Amino acid sequence: MDKTEFTTLVIPLKDRLFRLAKRILVSTDEAEDAVQEVLLKLWHGRENFKIYKSPEAFAITMTKNYCLDRLKSKQASTLKIVHSDYRTSENLERDVEASEGVALVFKIMENLPEQQRIMLQLRDVEQFEFEEIAEMLGKSETAIRVTLSRARKSVRDSLIKKYEYGIK
Amino acid sequence: MESNNIEQLLDAYFEGNTTLREEADLMDYFNNHRVEDHLLQYKPIFVGLKASKMEHSDKEFKIPEPISSRTYKPWRYAIAAFLVVALGIGVFFNSQSQMSQEEKEALVAFENSKKAMIFLSKKFNKGTEQLFYVEQFSIAKDRVFE
Repeated sequence: MDKTEFTTLVIPLKDRLFRLAKRILVSTDEAEDAVQEVLLKLWHGRENFKIYKSPEAFAITMTKNYCLDRLKSKQASTLKIVHSDYRTSENLERDVEASEGVALVFKIMENLPEQQRIMLQLRDVEQFEFEEIAEMLGKSETAIRVTLSRARKSVRDSLIKKYEYGIK
Repeated sequence: MESNNIEQLLDAYFEGNTTLREEADLMDYFNNHRVEDHLLQYKPIFVGLKASKMEHSDKEFKIPEPISSRTYKPWRYAIAAFLVVALGIGVFFNSQSQMSQEEKEALVAFENSKKAMIFLSKKFNKGTEQLFYVEQFSIAKDRVFE
């Protein structure tokens, strides 16, 4: 596989990979670094990359694993506090004409457990079929539905709670 | 779309039982239509999810220059490996012979000093032999003067 072929295969994916990385790592910088790292890995394993039934699913699995590893090593070290809530709110202002409610939803999503975040990202943002997500995550569709349902309800409940609190 | 229908879809959505098609309907309703008051509380979720999809990075991601077959020459690695091994063996034997060289020198020095010692002791013995005559002399003298 030469560079052009690789690029045409990978470039359409890069925003998706970035969004997933950001969903997991929260910080934009770290997400960009992660995507760069994953692209290099894909490049080095490009001969295998082509063989996969869905290169996209493979790339997403790789990104997810890489980011979770990053997260783990970050939690092991003391860097955890550094990754920024500030940055996200800054991004919100820039990227989105965000109403307060939407900002709240983003905040809530940041604080979900990683697996739930990944699930929301793959299904509700990227709109993959359950079958595809099952392949990416190596989980059963049922397990995915359960986690997804938990994530969605969790967002709803926190939103309503915060909303009511705001009114009082 | 009727709000009844939306409510049903919402219930299914939170249970994880909607299809992509139904989720697209929900997305569309909350983003592009006048939302009924009692459903307004769900709006931020779907607006937020839709906004999430717009996010992207402006960073230029690097893809490394391909290692083409022109620059990838396995024999180069073979030669490099061979040189390293040869160098290693060379250095090893060199240090070995240097060791014995040192040993040889030490041996020569030892032999030399041994010779020197022997020589010295021979000379010393000769010296004590000469003293015998002195003794004889003193015996003769004693006889004469008795």
